[in-house]
Amino acid sequence: MLERKIKVLLSKLGLDVHNRGVITVSKQLRDEGMEVIYIGNALPEEIINIAIQEAVDIIGVSSLAGAHIQLGQDLIKIAGKKHLNDVGIIIGGIFSPQDVKRLLEIGFDDVFTAGAMKKDIIGSISRIYKKKVKNKEKKNKKF
Amino acid sequence: MQSIKKFTKDLIRLVESGKKRIPLYDKKALQKIEQGFRKWKAEKVSDYDKDNWRITPHNIIGSEIERDLLYTPLDNRNFDYLLDSGNSGQEPFTRGIHPNMYRGRQFTMRPLTGFGGPEDTNKRMKFMLDNGATGLNILFDLPTIQMYDSDDPLARGQVGMSGVAIDSVEDMTLLFKDIPIEDITISIVTHYPSNTAILFPMFLAMAKKRGISWDRLRGSVQNDVTLEEVVRSSPEYIPPRDCFRIQCDNIEFIRKNVPLWNFITLNGYNLREFGASGITEMAIAITNGMETIENLISRGHEVDWIAGRLSFFWSAASDFFDEVARIRAARRLWYKIIKEKYNSDNLKSTWMRCHVQTSGISLTREEPLNNIIRAAFHALSVIFGGAQSLHVDSYDEAYSVPTEEAALLSLRTQQIIQNEIGVTEVVDPLGGSYYIESLTNDIESRIIDEIDGLEKAGGYISSIENGLIQKKIAEHFYREQEMIENKEIKLVGQNVFNSEKDTPPINVFEYPVNTEEKQRKRIGDLKNRRDKKKADKALRNLEQACVQKINIFPFSISCAEADCTVGEIFKVFKKSYGLWSPPIIY
Repeated sequence: MLERKIKVLLSKLGLDVHNRGVITVSKQLRDEGMEVIYIGNALPEEIINIAIQEAVDIIGVSSLAGAHIQLGQDLIKIAGKKHLNDVGIIIGGIFSPQDVKRLLEIGFDDVFTAGAMKKDIIGSISRIYKKKVKNKEKKNKKF
Repeated sequence: MQSIKKFTKDLIRLVESGKKRIPLYDKKALQKIEQGFRKWKAEKVSDYDKDNWRITPHNIIGSEIERDLLYTPLDNRNFDYLLDSGNSGQEPFTRGIHPNMYRGRQFTMRPLTGFGGPEDTNKRMKFMLDNGATGLNILFDLPTIQMYDSDDPLARGQVGMSGVAIDSVEDMTLLFKDIPIEDITISIVTHYPSNTAILFPMFLAMAKKRGISWDRLRGSVQNDVTLEEVVRSSPEYIPPRDCFRIQCDNIEFIRKNVPLWNFITLNGYNLREFGASGITEMAIAITNGMETIENLISRGHEVDWIAGRLSFFWSAASDFFDEVARIRAARRLWYKIIKEKYNSDNLKSTWMRCHVQTSGISLTREEPLNNIIRAAFHALSVIFGGAQSLHVDSYDEAYSVPTEEAALLSLRTQQIIQNEIGVTEVVDPLGGSYYIESLTNDIESRIIDEIDGLEKAGGYISSIENGLIQKKIAEHFYREQEMIENKEIKLVGQNVFNSEKDTPPINVFEYPVNTEEKQRKRIGDLKNRRDKKKADKALRNLEQACVQKINIFPFSISCAEADCTVGEIFKVFKKSYGLWSPPIIY
């Protein structure tokens, strides 16, 4: 049986025009064997809806234009409302060091800034995925 | 008989080959030099250097052009001083567009500003002017750039971030309060033809209200299809052909009604930052320029009617001499195109006037103070290249919009160049360097080759429609990331010479709070105050003009004067032109 690919949804958060980074990551993840869906610009509600529809393992959003706290909070809130506990959520972009901390506090599983390397992103996604899979198995065992 | 489309490369080659060249270097001298050079290479140059005579410097958004160990007259055998170089202010303008260059007119120090609401940016603009900036350069927030109002659900959390929020003429009025717009040149960074047709009318309406006649206004807009259709991620695009037509319509209106205004700033910078070499950047901008000129000629205008105010916007990255040479190459090439392809009679039309911004993507997040050094080198190369106007990116580029302190330092970088180190006292100081002249030639021919490729592929607009450009860019920036990851591209403090210690924190700009709230309230009040009938009528007339595919600019001015908002006007464009989905390359 074929090994299940990690499925990732990538999106620009809000109206940010800069997409060079997220497109690069999209290709890097595909080259690594992950299944990637890139939806361009979207608001948190739409991102979560598509994540559910596509049953993704990881959501990655990109924000280089300052909207990360507000829209990041919205994203995590909506994910919680829709019980997306088994989906990892990561964010990349241009953030101050304080905001990096805040984003982790808000609930992002990882935060990437300018200069992030492929191995760090892939490593992080793998770790988050394995952890979520383990948690899911634990939950299933309870039944 | 079918008319054969003449390609630019062939046309120029034809004209150039008809010119009688008088090589600078004497044949006998070259013979002797060549003998001596061979001997020197055999006897003095190590085997390693012989084997690695040509190397390729690697840097972010670099040209990947090979360089020799040493350049000599042998690399410029056919150099004809008057044909290839000329004096400054003389054809072919390689050395500069004016005889006295910076002695006559210093480069404009034009720092980019924009954040929060109009009052916030107004304050920062005044700060920069008080500290010696000689021009203004305004950047809008993403909702404004993408043409949504501050109260649109799509704008949530993004109002006033990374640019200033402008929703109406009222905001434009606040933005320029107490700023002498008739005395300073103002770059209003309306990237797209669409938002140029929305925001510049608001600026003009504001000027009218202040009693300033449009023929006194000096400055520029971007107005470039490249930015609207290629270099941006957006939820909604109008079709490229409509966008290009609006670009040319804007030019026509502005040329007629705001005669001192630069109606297009061919891009350039953003394209290259997105993921293109300096060669591709120039090839695309120049091809766009040519298609624009041809469009306006087809409307019955003369080349000199448009070319005089057409300007360019380049980026300056880290390969120092490459950056110098390419501005010189572009100047010479543009001269040849306007003179030899379009048969201009007016030398001013052949000037490649440009604003340059130092490269943002060449700066790092790690050890941000290193960026001060990088940006200073970038800036210096621009001045050796002979640009008209400069913006220096700030060291906190990878963190946020610049703090006041960082923005000031960028301005000081320019002022030090202008006042302390003597580089502006002599025109084109690197002219005549064997390296620079050889590299200038090399770059010019590469640009022409890429233009040729674009033309043979059906032209620039077609290449946008079918995704050729986007594909090329994506390949470039993906490869560039690989080069960074495997250290072919070295970034001090980031992937080489990484410090063991954590980077000490820098102050990062904090956006003013409540901009979104303030703007929402302002829009609400505006809509209550205004004459609803007048606004609706203006929007309906605009829609008719869009559908008839006529020049919408005057109709947009009426909308601005009727207090319509940015979002309301864009909705009309979307409705009338329909939406376009860019081909999916990614």
